[in-house]
Amino acid sequence: MCMELQLGLALPGSDTWSRPLLKLSLYEDINVNSKKRGFDHGYLEDEFSAASFKNYEKGLVGWPPVETWRRKKLRCQVHNHMTAAENGYCGGRASNSTYVKVKMEGVVIARKIDISIHQSFEKLTTTLMTMFDIFSHFPFIFGSVDENRRSFKLTYQDKEGDWLIAEDVPWR
Amino acid sequence: MQKKTAHSFPDEILEHVFSFIQSGKDRNAASVVCKSWYEIERWCRRKIFVGNCYAVSPTMVIRRFPDIRSIELKGKPHFADFNLVPDGWGGYVLPWISKMAGAYPWLEEIRLKRMVVTDESLELVAKSFANLQVLVLFSCEGFSTDGLAAIAASCKNLRELDLRDSEVDDLSGHWLNHFPDTYTSLVSLNISCLGSDDVSFSALERLVGRCPNLRRLLLNREVPLDKIANLLSRAPQLIEFGTGTYAAELRSDVYSNLAEAFCNCKELKSLSGFWDAVPAYLPVIYSVCSRLTSLNLSYAPIQNPDLTKLVSQCPSLQRMLVLDYIEDSGLEVLASSCKDLQELRVFPSDPFGEEPNVSLTEKGLVAVSSGCPKLQSVLYFCRQMSNAALVTIAQNCPNFTRFRLCLLDPKIADYRTLQPLDVGFGAIVEHCKDLRRLSLSGLLTDCVFEYIGMHAKKLEMLSVAFAGESDLALHHVLSGCESLRKLEIMNCPFGDKALLANAAKLETMRSLWMSSCSVRLGACKMLGQKMPRLNIEVMDEKGPPDSRAESDPVDKLYIYRSVAGPRFDMPPFVWTMDEDFASELS
Repeated sequence: MCMELQLGLALPGSDTWSRPLLKLSLYEDINVNSKKRGFDHGYLEDEFSAASFKNYEKGLVGWPPVETWRRKKLRCQVHNHMTAAENGYCGGRASNSTYVKVKMEGVVIARKIDISIHQSFEKLTTTLMTMFDIFSHFPFIFGSVDENRRSFKLTYQDKEGDWLIAEDVPWR
Repeated sequence: MQKKTAHSFPDEILEHVFSFIQSGKDRNAASVVCKSWYEIERWCRRKIFVGNCYAVSPTMVIRRFPDIRSIELKGKPHFADFNLVPDGWGGYVLPWISKMAGAYPWLEEIRLKRMVVTDESLELVAKSFANLQVLVLFSCEGFSTDGLAAIAASCKNLRELDLRDSEVDDLSGHWLNHFPDTYTSLVSLNISCLGSDDVSFSALERLVGRCPNLRRLLLNREVPLDKIANLLSRAPQLIEFGTGTYAAELRSDVYSNLAEAFCNCKELKSLSGFWDAVPAYLPVIYSVCSRLTSLNLSYAPIQNPDLTKLVSQCPSLQRMLVLDYIEDSGLEVLASSCKDLQELRVFPSDPFGEEPNVSLTEKGLVAVSSGCPKLQSVLYFCRQMSNAALVTIAQNCPNFTRFRLCLLDPKIADYRTLQPLDVGFGAIVEHCKDLRRLSLSGLLTDCVFEYIGMHAKKLEMLSVAFAGESDLALHHVLSGCESLRKLEIMNCPFGDKALLANAAKLETMRSLWMSSCSVRLGACKMLGQKMPRLNIEVMDEKGPPDSRAESDPVDKLYIYRSVAGPRFDMPPFVWTMDEDFASELS
């Protein structure tokens, strides 16, 4: 199974999900050892290329012109292939990793967050906001943490590249 | 008293003569000779092609052609394939089916491309056209297996069911069971796009077993490899076959059964599928390879040397689709082995990767152009190109009809000279006088468009992205390309001037698409006022176009000629610039 989920955090009032602030993506993570890492231990990750993010940020939607159905089928194949090669056995297998890669627009370094240690969307959103220090980036946000958290919407990008509202999907 | 001219024949004779004229273009020409020819022709036209479903209304078609048996309709613009057209844009087939249900009870063939087809439409088709023989849904969406069940149950004369690249909702795995046991007419079945649980395998086996005329069978990925042998043994008369998943643990019984099954298919000429293919099972098709004229490995993650070895065994290949795992070395082998090659498509295995994962460069394409004298059609994704290579390719292949080059970094220069690729593409249009379709990429200035306008006189479709410097480029194309029918442009600095200066040209074309360019709303409004037979559609997901400043460029623009006027089924993010809109806002 191809595990490529991308989560995003969009500003309040944005009526299009096409440019979320924060982008998270769930990749098979073969570097994570069994010891769980705390959510505030982010680290540099360039193993699985954020090329599709880069393309998007450069405004290269629709490029390269590979048909959506072909893209879908290819992604799973390449992914399994890459993992298989690195793991040294044939036949890819999705790991049980619950680490999600998070990237914020304008910030070079991506971070990782373990979504399994969060029990709800609210907690996840709070963590993300703290992690990326959204409060210092957006001084116009005032009021309690809870108020601010409620005003953000968690979005995710599915395999087809469509941005959807995370809360529409029940928390695991 | 009316004088009869020496040239008048009884209508029946003319009708008989017309029955030999199959091409739509020729029939169109005949119909404008005189009124009586128009009348006779329209009564006996049986086949119609509507390249843009919004260019004409179903009522108009039915009024003119009372007895159509075969219809082909196309909906969304081509760039919808790359996610550039938002959901809900349009292209609904139901209005057509509804009108045709009453008017064409003898309809035999329906072919749709990029249209929204619902289960309701399919149920209506099943109910209305007892004689339906061909149903092709190419890149369509909006329907489920329930709709397919209705077709299977009712269409007793169905020969061809082709769901090529469509998006189908899987609701029930058993729609195939709805083909009655008495149904034996299937000739062609393409279900390669179906997802999991869509196909009841036993129903498929029984269907295949009882249809002796089955010649084309393209399976979906979920059909496991160990079931293929059995299926093939029930249909040894197949000409075209698409496997399901081509991976399994190596087992000698499965292997030998497969090899035998393929060997018994003496007429097999075309193979595809090969999802997740593993090298171990490739040799089972070796007995077929020498006869193969078409091979589609574009979903197979096979690499060299297995891939090259396979290719080297197929000397009769005319059509080859493959991933860039073939690399330059594999293409060199293709060039020396496959002298009949006419069409080559090389797809990227890792289109979004930043670093090349394979050694596929311009050299592979040069080799094929040099070794394959019949090469006519190319689609090639790669990461580097040079003008010198393009010039060589152009000189080697003056017979190109379709040339599409896609450089993964869209603005990349000639890697040897760091110059734009104008000269290279210029050579293509200059040497390939029969070129009908061209896609550009790489660093390109206005120069290349000057060459295109000057030389590409037979060009019908042009795709442009991230190219050009000014409106002059667009002007060259619109004023020079006499045969241009479809022009699609993304992310180019083309604005109002060229469009307005060539407004009349747009009426001679099927459509123009421009997204992320510099066309302003004012120009769109002006075009809408000036050109009543053009539909000027502005698409913007952020809000109505008049909420922006007049100097802001529109997000997406789709212009097409139409005799039906503006359409009524536009979603909230599409605005039509007809005369009313223009005057409302001024």
